[in-house]
Amino acid sequence: MKDDITRKLTEEIKKANEIINYRSENFIKNYTGPFDSEIRENIKIAREKQLPLCQDTGMIEFFVFLPKNINIDFDIEDMLNRSVYNAYKENYYRYSTVKDPLFERVNSKDNCPPVIHYMFHDKKNLEIKFLVKGGGSENLTSLFMLKPSSDKETVKKTIIDYIKENGARGCPPLNIGIGIGGTSDKALMLSKLALTYDFDERNEKREYAEFETELTEELNRLKIGFQGLGRGISVYSVHIKQYPTHIAILPVAVSVDCYLVRKGSVTLEI
Amino acid sequence: MLLLKFEELKAGEIINYTGGLIVMRDAAHKRIKEMKERNEKLPVDFKDKIIFYAGPAKKPDFQAVGSIGPTTSNRMDGFLEIMYQLGISATVGKGKRSGFVAGLNKKYSKVYFVTPSGMAAMLSQKVKKHTVLAFDDLGTEAIQELIVEDFPLMTAIDVNGEDIFDIGG
Repeated sequence: MKDDITRKLTEEIKKANEIINYRSENFIKNYTGPFDSEIRENIKIAREKQLPLCQDTGMIEFFVFLPKNINIDFDIEDMLNRSVYNAYKENYYRYSTVKDPLFERVNSKDNCPPVIHYMFHDKKNLEIKFLVKGGGSENLTSLFMLKPSSDKETVKKTIIDYIKENGARGCPPLNIGIGIGGTSDKALMLSKLALTYDFDERNEKREYAEFETELTEELNRLKIGFQGLGRGISVYSVHIKQYPTHIAILPVAVSVDCYLVRKGSVTLEI
Repeated sequence: MLLLKFEELKAGEIINYTGGLIVMRDAAHKRIKEMKERNEKLPVDFKDKIIFYAGPAKKPDFQAVGSIGPTTSNRMDGFLEIMYQLGISATVGKGKRSGFVAGLNKKYSKVYFVTPSGMAAMLSQKVKKHTVLAFDDLGTEAIQELIVEDFPLMTAIDVNGEDIFDIGG
């Protein structure tokens, strides 16, 4: 089973790096503005020549959902590492990971290790979601520790002001993940997890779902546009994940993904 | 050889560039700055060169270079004046730069171009030749030379300090 999941994950990572996801492609098809023919040519060439759509083939960030009562009889971490190793060794990707973040910064030359978040879920299966996270969009991640008395309008203004100032640097149109509540680290992780959702998936709670739609509409009024050049949409979608929080705090985390929205998932019944 | 008349380019103008580009990004800039501070001889003559902020992906055997595209220019802003003093003529990258860059462009009469980001498979087709010039140990972050043909560039900050990211917003 381990080899089977490794192979599936390696394939999914390859697909995310080379084949534009159809939801983004629908928006790209309708874009007219600077570099519109180049953007479509890139999609075609990447597919035909099995080249990565972007030279920044990222770090892989995994979200692993485990069934609560089931023992898994293989080393999951080794399996995830191996799937990244295989995908990056076998393809024309860039090794973008350095072993030590501050002092040596020597390239690991295999794009390992990935970043892994483990969680439990109520289902009986093993679900692994991942993002191919490039440095440009990752540098836009931000955390705001707001006052607990803040209302929706304050949260909205915080997010809009931040994207207005910085959005152009993240290769727009952007997919935006918002984590609200928990502790600071929980909010950040939720904002990343929110990026794994599809554009048309909405929060299960009505007021949050409406807030997602409202943010998407208002952010698009900023007219950041494709490549930050003012033409076409600015944001594909906004996804919010919330969690209970402390009476004294209101963490709001913002993560963004670039216009390629490179992600995937593998689900296994066990 | 310079094929461009930089002083004639206006912010927002798109051109197709044919000629040389010097690829270098964060780590190589840091090293050049340190070498200059120690008065060491630099491994590359930067005079009249166009710097492209990039780091290519792995090279397939069927083309000159792997997928290649611009990285965020604003991380290199702190090195820009040093590079202008070393004689570079222009820079190519992606995104808005710090406010002081427009002033530097005016002072030194230099240009900042953007080239499409996240379209690296397409851009790699425009590269006819690729050579590593220095800092081989940095891998994708080494200083490299490209010869490109019809490479799409948009003037983002011209010699008068006009900035497309300001005009729009």
